[in-house]
Amino acid sequence: MIIRLQHVIPIPLKEKLQHRQSDVWNNALVFNTGEWVKIKAPSGSGKTTFIHILWQLRTDYLGKVFYNDISADAINPNAMAALRQSELSIVFQDLRLFTNLTARENIELKRVMTEKPLYEPEKIDAMAEALGILNILDQQAGTCSYGEQQRIAIIRALMQPFQWLIMDEPFSHLDNANIKKASTLIAQECKSRGAGIIITDLEADDYFDYSSRLQL
Amino acid sequence: MKKLLQKIISTGVGKFRFAMATLGMGVAVLCILFALQLFVNFTQLLHGKNNQNDIADFLVINKMVTGATQGQKEKSTFSDADIADLKTQPFAQEVGLLNSTNFSVSVESYSDALPFYSDAYFESVPDQFIDVKSKEWKWTEGQRDLPVIIPSFFLDLYNTGMAMTQDNLPQLSMDALSAIPIKISIKGKGQNVEFVGHVVAQTDRLNSILIPQSFMDWANAQYGYRQSQRPTRVVIKTNDPSSPALVKYLDGKGWKTNTEKTRFSKIRGIINLIVSVIGGIGFVLLFFGMLVFSLFIQVTIASCKTDIALLQTLGTAPSQLQRFLMGRFLPINAVLLVLALALLALIQAWAKQFLAGRQIILDAWLSPFTLVAAFFIFGMMWWVNRSTIRRYINS
Repeated sequence: MIIRLQHVIPIPLKEKLQHRQSDVWNNALVFNTGEWVKIKAPSGSGKTTFIHILWQLRTDYLGKVFYNDISADAINPNAMAALRQSELSIVFQDLRLFTNLTARENIELKRVMTEKPLYEPEKIDAMAEALGILNILDQQAGTCSYGEQQRIAIIRALMQPFQWLIMDEPFSHLDNANIKKASTLIAQECKSRGAGIIITDLEADDYFDYSSRLQL
Repeated sequence: MKKLLQKIISTGVGKFRFAMATLGMGVAVLCILFALQLFVNFTQLLHGKNNQNDIADFLVINKMVTGATQGQKEKSTFSDADIADLKTQPFAQEVGLLNSTNFSVSVESYSDALPFYSDAYFESVPDQFIDVKSKEWKWTEGQRDLPVIIPSFFLDLYNTGMAMTQDNLPQLSMDALSAIPIKISIKGKGQNVEFVGHVVAQTDRLNSILIPQSFMDWANAQYGYRQSQRPTRVVIKTNDPSSPALVKYLDGKGWKTNTEKTRFSKIRGIINLIVSVIGGIGFVLLFFGMLVFSLFIQVTIASCKTDIALLQTLGTAPSQLQRFLMGRFLPINAVLLVLALALLALIQAWAKQFLAGRQIILDAWLSPFTLVAAFFIFGMMWWVNRSTIRRYINS
């Protein structure tokens, strides 16, 4: 799937962003299938806004976003849901877990959201073990530490089929050892799918083998 | 998926609100159905067959004989115009003519044990105005037996007065009386015929000796002195014998009816007032019930608003959510309805038993009207649920 941005600029940040040099805002941009893109975004550059625009949580922007040449504003809610179930996947900065569900249930929700789940339920345990959170799987997500919740959100994103994995500061609360484990798992999952990555972070990094690095 | 959605929705922050909303909706549904059933019960009490005062519903009307009219028999008869006018009155649901015999009649006893002889006359009226039903109440040409209905006060007068004061006269029960054959002699157009009469029933409604209409038509044609005879009495069926309009109409025409029946009007006025007040309260109840009902459906869904929003963010399709939420709320609504109906059925059964001791007859079951209303409410629940869910999902 090709994602194309055509002179996108969020309306509330228009004044502020117009006078900045950015590889993304107000530019013509194409994310080709399978590309791993790092977007370095200093504070206040509209990082989360960008992620929300890609996910179509926000529509208050000028310009156009295309998914496989279909304009986002032409996609109805049911079709958007289908995209989110099998074409796009996401790790939000604020994670967005159901705090009253267990970690396993949060992940399971995404596994069974599509009619034919991609993975068997055992895959949850395997991934949790790889990221070192097997012991908290049956704990309420709300009672887990932020680092643990971050890893729950990562596994949840990997449970579904996708062409693009969009991540907003996914490792902010992980130590280096855990970042290594998580990025290895993510890279492995994306490779097996031939999927692309769009990751935003405050600083430059080498978590993945990026095909391009952009400045927001 | 369904199991998880269920957990998300039912363990959300809105759990208490959800419970309160469900309770509130139950009360609202109960209010609506209760108001309707109450209305049906009152209608039934006022107009239902079981509770109708059969005498009060039928009035026999005749023209008053005064000093000025007493020499002119034709002034006591009803003209076609009179009857047509009466039929157009709102209080007269049905108008029946009492035909009388147009020939000489005498009745006498066959038996020496109960000797009597009297000149007499008969009247007839269409069967729907007769309150007693008897299998023997029919006559076909060639039949010698003639069924007769007498006013019940005849037998009372005889048993309590006549038989008590005359040593040689026995008292008679209705069964005994109906077993006694009566010789009925008819004289007219130069012919004499004899029939055997049987009292088949007694009535409180019409103070007249009645024979079947078929016999009357045949005998009047056969033996009648005149070609046709105008009726002197008419019977009307009315919903409201105490209606002031009826009393005024009769007074204006100089016609007469059983004043005892029309005297009931003041009590009727009070009852009408009470019923209207209760009906009014019922409607207010209905209105608020509907209001509370639709508000609570919205609250129940609003209580899961944040969860619904998050589910959508994660990629749950609106159609998936809608299906799930409908499946979540609609069964609860159905259960509420069934519970409300069950409770009302209990109340109704209890009320029937309680009121039966006071000679007030109610149906033991909920009226079909209430059940239809319940279905209608379910349809509305479906609609309100659907549109509310859609609104939340699309917002």
